[in-house]
Amino acid sequence: MMSNIKNDSEIDFVVRIGGEGGDGVISAGELFASAAARTEYHVFTYITYPAEIRGGFSMIQIRTKNSTVYSMGSHIDYLVVFNQVAYDRTIKELREGGTLIYDPDEVKIEDNLNANIYPIPLTKIVTELTGSKLGKNVVALGALGHLFDIDMKVLEKLIQDRYKSKGHEAVEKNTLALKAGFDAGVKNDWDRKFHLIANKEAKSQYMMISGNEAVALGAIAAGCRFVAGYPITPATPIFETLTKLMPMVGGRAIQLEDEIASISACIGASFGGLKAISPTSGPGLQLMGEQLNLASMLELPIVIVDVQRGGPSTGLPTKTEQSDLKYAIYGTVGESPRVILAPIGVEDSFYQTIRAFNIAERFQMPVIILTDQSIGYRKATVKIPDLSKIVEVPNSVLCEDITIPSPERVDIASRIIAVEADLNSYKRFVNTENGISPITIPGTPGGQYLATGLEHNESGKADYTPANHVMMNKKRFTKLAKLAEVFENNLPEYEGSDKAKIGVIGWGSTYGAIKEARLIAEKRGIIFRHLHPKVISPLPENQIRHFLAGLKEVIIVEENFTGQFAHFIKGKFGIKPIEIHKCEGVPITPEEIYTGIEKVARIVDEENIARL
Amino acid sequence: MKKTLQDYKSAIKPVWCPGCGDYGVLQALQKGLLELEIPPEDIIFISGIGCSGRLSHFVNSYSLHGTHGRAIPTATGAKTARPDLTVLAVGGDGDGLGIGGGHIAHAARKNVDITYILIDNRIYGLTKGQTSPTSPLGQKTKTAPFGAYEDPMEPLPIFLSYDVSFVARANGLDVKEMQEILTGAIKHKGMSIVYIQTPCKTFPVIDPKAIKELFQPLPADYDKTNKLKAMEYAYSQKPLYTGIYYQVEKTSLEDRLQDIMTSACRKNDNGKVYSVEQILQSYA
Repeated sequence: MMSNIKNDSEIDFVVRIGGEGGDGVISAGELFASAAARTEYHVFTYITYPAEIRGGFSMIQIRTKNSTVYSMGSHIDYLVVFNQVAYDRTIKELREGGTLIYDPDEVKIEDNLNANIYPIPLTKIVTELTGSKLGKNVVALGALGHLFDIDMKVLEKLIQDRYKSKGHEAVEKNTLALKAGFDAGVKNDWDRKFHLIANKEAKSQYMMISGNEAVALGAIAAGCRFVAGYPITPATPIFETLTKLMPMVGGRAIQLEDEIASISACIGASFGGLKAISPTSGPGLQLMGEQLNLASMLELPIVIVDVQRGGPSTGLPTKTEQSDLKYAIYGTVGESPRVILAPIGVEDSFYQTIRAFNIAERFQMPVIILTDQSIGYRKATVKIPDLSKIVEVPNSVLCEDITIPSPERVDIASRIIAVEADLNSYKRFVNTENGISPITIPGTPGGQYLATGLEHNESGKADYTPANHVMMNKKRFTKLAKLAEVFENNLPEYEGSDKAKIGVIGWGSTYGAIKEARLIAEKRGIIFRHLHPKVISPLPENQIRHFLAGLKEVIIVEENFTGQFAHFIKGKFGIKPIEIHKCEGVPITPEEIYTGIEKVARIVDEENIARL
Repeated sequence: MKKTLQDYKSAIKPVWCPGCGDYGVLQALQKGLLELEIPPEDIIFISGIGCSGRLSHFVNSYSLHGTHGRAIPTATGAKTARPDLTVLAVGGDGDGLGIGGGHIAHAARKNVDITYILIDNRIYGLTKGQTSPTSPLGQKTKTAPFGAYEDPMEPLPIFLSYDVSFVARANGLDVKEMQEILTGAIKHKGMSIVYIQTPCKTFPVIDPKAIKELFQPLPADYDKTNKLKAMEYAYSQKPLYTGIYYQVEKTSLEDRLQDIMTSACRKNDNGKVYSVEQILQSYA
């Protein structure tokens, strides 16, 4: 019926819904995002929760686009506010000429707003319908549904899926509220610019998941069948998702008494032969420190996920920050090899988690995945990989031939298992060319060995002699050196013109914002190239030198106070970068990055002019 | 081929001080494993730090000598991952009651099917004589030169209140008794703790002669399921009762998780586990 309706411009808009914690703001936004995801469009959500269960400001932002969405956007096009606090805190971010929907009984707006203003008495509508204030979020959803021309059937189905566990009455009440909101939209007779028309095919090709869910699903796809954890914001959803999924795929999930116990259980499970993961956040990673070293020393694969939050100490548990980098890289007493990966977004969280397992298993060492609250709680559409192309990499394949997992091809690597010949006077820690020693799995006759945290010789016996310590340290670090070589041979992780005189380096969740800043800059005549390594340690140093060559200025963007990645890069490459830090608990926007780059571009230009 | 005691010995020779009680524990354990005919490859043996931590070096098994105090959660992970294997853990009074003391309660709640051997000599021996959680009040040690200023911990009543499903005490000087109790503990399905008291020769706190006289087996008609009675016996100082204080049947963690798995897959075709494809599609 509506298939002949065409969108009159490129689709790219940002909706934000704000209210009090407990208003149902997040679930309304998520339902809207799900509805949009079932069209042919890509969505990207950003959420902030208050740290409290009820009360406090809470909001969700959804960006919808007809191509991949890289960031949450710099401005809001459509703002829905449930109460005064939400209005006061976000009205400044509504772009000029944007649309404001508000509850006139709850919010007093200022005069002379340069916006399209639509009062909808959300609370009044729902109270009259059901006698309760609950459900005003669904009224708002109905209104948004009409505004964006979403098929009512799609919305009704979503309501049913979301509320059916709460019983028939809940579904009925919410459907009433939904329709009332839709009707309120009809009455507004507003200018409908975008039409989100359902596309059945889109549904089966894409998952609509959060970054935290992406990590959990990546672990499952990688063959991880053991999770041990302790709840900690904002990593808890990974653990929750895995506790649900593990038994479904024949795996085991246990909650432990703290993070030390959790990583210990992972070490025990990995020793037993399973691929193991423990999700945590900064304070938990800190507690795991000693056991991370043990995993390095015992050469056991484990994957730890740190969903970074604002620190230090308890800090800002529900806010985002990139401030655990140094601890992840250097947080070790004694020298123990480990790998740090930093996914750049929701989809990448899925694939980097698979990669983390491949590395941990093949190289028998711990891998830390560093994401953050903004990735973890963001929802996005993620293409489901072609599962017919999941390849179990055999024992004999060289590490360098294992591809980086992508929607086109997913390699699953496991640890190299000792074969019959190795078991003849088996040496668990035999020193090999690449440092990797074949491992046995308990239950294998003749494969018994001792794994001790004490320095040990090739057969596992404690041995503190100088020559042995030198050899074993070298063996453990040879694996890391070999890995660095593998990373060096991967495709360069930078984008933008080779002619650029300005280079921007970022890591983790800032990828999308920097990329968009680059596109904005290009439109305005400023070119820069953008490096965003997904492997933080060991860095592919030659690739980075290649990136740095010919640059006049290097800008390092990160969301922390002291410039941790900049410090790391400065130490390794002896450069003096300009640093852009944002440490406010909220993600940096493309505009903020662009503004910084524009200033640098002006300096570089002036230098060029001076030289003429 | 029938196994011999040799099959349970690793290639590494024990390095404890001459006359150390740990030799006896090691021997009792190896004899017990032989008696139970558990193949060495089916044993995971996890130890912490301290003289007792070395025990795992000397047993022919899949042995993991980890960090201080973490043997129990490590063993919990190992057993959860490999319910088909026998998982043992060992620690001393420092490892098990000091730094790692918090873990016992939670392993007990899980009733994970591991056997935890706690060897108590009431002193930190490996680090040459500092106060341990069970050092007697007033005992002079390297870190209490004027005498220990804390009350010693009473471990058995704690294990009983945690509801560990198998709690026993053994005389560390009596290999036969230790072997008997250890085999009982290993056979027990669920969490078992064998609390072994044994003197340290080099930093003596316990007088071997005196303690020998204090040990006395629990009465023949003792009811192992009566926890309150067990508490009463556990607090007795004269005599120190040996034997199984408490043993009850409770579903083990492995069985609980197996039940969860069955119920999680119930709705799938024939109750099979879900494929990765099915899981990913459920998020579409």
